Amino acid sequence: MSAGSSLPYKLRPNKAVDRELFLSLLMRLAPSFVLEKYHYVGLGGPFLEDFRLVHARLGIEKMTCIEVEEEVHKRQLFNRPIASIECIHSSLEDYLDQTDFDSPAIVWFDFTEPKGITSQIERFARTIGTVPIGSILRVTLNAYPSSLGSPDPRELSVEVDGDASEDRSHKPTIQEWRLARFKSRLGGLFPSGLSAEGMSTKNYGASVLQVLKLAVDKEALSFRDRQIFWALATHYSDGQPMVTATLVVCQTDDETTKDLIKGWEFYSTTDDPHRLDLPAISTLERLTMESTKEPEKKMGFDLPRSGMGGDPLTAFKKYYRIYPHFSRIEL
Amino acid sequence: MTKPSEDRAQASPTKQFFVSMLTRDISLADAILDLLDNCLDGALRLVHGAQVDYSKHFVKIEIDGDHFSIADNCGGIPRDVAKNYAFKMGRDSDDDRDSDAETIGMYGVGMKRAIFKMGRNALVRTRHDEDTFEVPITSEWLDAKNWDPLPINEPSEASENLDEPGTTILVRELHEGVARHFGNAAFENEVRTAIAEHFTMFLQWGLKVELNGEPVLPVRVEVLVSEDEDSPAPYVFQKTIDDVLVSITVGLNTSKSSGDDNEDDAGFEGDRSSSTSGWTVLCNDRAVIVGDKNRLTGWGDGIPLYHPQFSIVTGIIEFRSHRADKLPVTTTKRALDTSSNVWLESLVKMKEGMRIWISYTNQWKNHPRADQSRYWADARPMPLGKVIAAIESRKLAKKPDGHIEFNPLKAKVLPVPDEKKPSSRRIVFSRPIEEVRLVSKMLFDDQEEKPGIVGEVCFEMQLVKARKQGD
Repeated sequence: MSAGSSLPYKLRPNKAVDRELFLSLLMRLAPSFVLEKYHYVGLGGPFLEDFRLVHARLGIEKMTCIEVEEEVHKRQLFNRPIASIECIHSSLEDYLDQTDFDSPAIVWFDFTEPKGITSQIERFARTIGTVPIGSILRVTLNAYPSSLGSPDPRELSVEVDGDASEDRSHKPTIQEWRLARFKSRLGGLFPSGLSAEGMSTKNYGASVLQVLKLAVDKEALSFRDRQIFWALATHYSDGQPMVTATLVVCQTDDETTKDLIKGWEFYSTTDDPHRLDLPAISTLERLTMESTKEPEKKMGFDLPRSGMGGDPLTAFKKYYRIYPHFSRIEL
Repeated sequence: MTKPSEDRAQASPTKQFFVSMLTRDISLADAILDLLDNCLDGALRLVHGAQVDYSKHFVKIEIDGDHFSIADNCGGIPRDVAKNYAFKMGRDSDDDRDSDAETIGMYGVGMKRAIFKMGRNALVRTRHDEDTFEVPITSEWLDAKNWDPLPINEPSEASENLDEPGTTILVRELHEGVARHFGNAAFENEVRTAIAEHFTMFLQWGLKVELNGEPVLPVRVEVLVSEDEDSPAPYVFQKTIDDVLVSITVGLNTSKSSGDDNEDDAGFEGDRSSSTSGWTVLCNDRAVIVGDKNRLTGWGDGIPLYHPQFSIVTGIIEFRSHRADKLPVTTTKRALDTSSNVWLESLVKMKEGMRIWISYTNQWKNHPRADQSRYWADARPMPLGKVIAAIESRKLAKKPDGHIEFNPLKAKVLPVPDEKKPSSRRIVFSRPIEEVRLVSKMLFDDQEEKPGIVGEVCFEMQLVKARKQGD
């Protein structure tokens, strides 16, 4: 959580929707998977909010919260909302290397750091073979293309819809420059044929998810006792764009789980993630959008759009049931 | 003295032997590449030694959990070739089809080996000029002990015809492991990358290869060249050795050096050199090996082992000959015959070229890439052929006996750092991120400055103090 704890922690409605989607998936799987017997492992941040929710909705007792930063770890011990949460001062990678799960696990790899994306993806992929069958793995990855670095603008050329700057023939565009960086970071994980278009703010999340899928598929080839199902993928932005993906590790011949997941209202795969880019809205705006058929007419203004290419009204209509409502409480 | 008896000892090969032995020597991806090689050999035969227009040709490949198919429009198999050679296990000495073309097939096993590697039921349908026929290879034929010839069937319905001359191979009853691979997205990506690398020249010349409906784009292997006589240029060598025209270049590629980059992943996991750094070996336009960083291509053999510092160095060597058997490749066409004279003689020159750039990266290793970029401002990435054309005209390139050799070090066109200090030493240490942030906040009023910069500024401050005390 190191970067997360230092980012300005404003209201994050999209992160909240993303989390609700994940909880909703767990609720769907809970009866057949007997999730209350699972071991939940995650990075709780200073307030362990996710742990509180997981416990409240699913009744999971065995929970482990991992934290690398000592001060945050101490704060977690202080804030621990449920006594059965075990707080460990370690990196998630070290913890997994030192742990043999004796029951299936739910592990959330909440990587927020843009650096080291390749080792993050490899680490996640490798875990599909080491956890017990039935485990649910979820990963969050940074999808901010500027995290690939910013070159000197003089080293770049510009091309938009066929109009190009004079130096176009021998200088890369920002997307081409990023693609070269992306390629050198990923090495053998690079998806063959990925073009510079995949490096824009709008498409970069999809490119990261494509890499993730290839890495997991590659790993899956080595295991004959299990198969993986992607159940949920999201691309959201509250400032920094992020992508998440969740998979379920199943027995090779398990068709029941496949149908259970595919029939879920919010089923989505890495090829087509949910785009969550709702702006923060006022109470009045929310009530208007919920109770009116054509709220845009009544409101008479456009809601701000993020760079991810979605329409905020459409997104609201799709996710309003799980859209959080923040209001101020004086203590 | 013995005398002949009536008994005879069986010495004929069994099918089992061919099928299980041959297929062990080749990887699944290489088997697919072999079939693609056959398509290209077909295109070459069509023009009888003239220049092939590859943009007229396509190859469509499908891989899926229950079948494999490859379809091309590269001329098809003539009926007499099908009857006498194409389906034989191994090439006959009287098969002299390719004396005038730079084909790569020579052992006559590629197609059969690829089919048996994948599955137990195949159908080869081909059209040569107006003659269409098909040859089924069934699991019954495979299981039978005898070597009965395969049937040749004529089309009886319109759907059994092909629109233009070419060949279609369909394999079903895939082996279990093969089916798992063919249904896997990561394997598809591996095949796509392999085609993009190994057939890069053909793809650049316009050949259309589709894998599962998506076109394959070439991976360009290029080095930086300035056309100006006094500007930096790669090492170049070209000479005919044993009927083989050998062309070599070694230079810088366009990737960033990983040595000067603070934000990259630290440690061994950070070493992800681009696939085109190292050596790429081409034989008659096929890339036999791409981005090799091992002893095979000279690393660690009289020069240092490969290290991320050398990730900006790319070497390309090409062998070209009308005689496929003179090329230093093995039967899989994706490996080198390193005992051949032409390879050994070339390796000396490859290492000579490498040494220039290894010492270049050593000289610049403690300098940011930006310092050297001005010297390379007008350099362009070029493939081997263009590099040689561009360098040939430099006055030092032509040698008296006709071969071409250009050494940029001897030509004194390589930049040297302005204040090159051989005494520079590297300081590396790690501290917890909380402490780094604390110092960063004090120095820069921003706790997120890069740890490398925080460390360097701390050293600078102490240096100023130390110098004052020394006064």
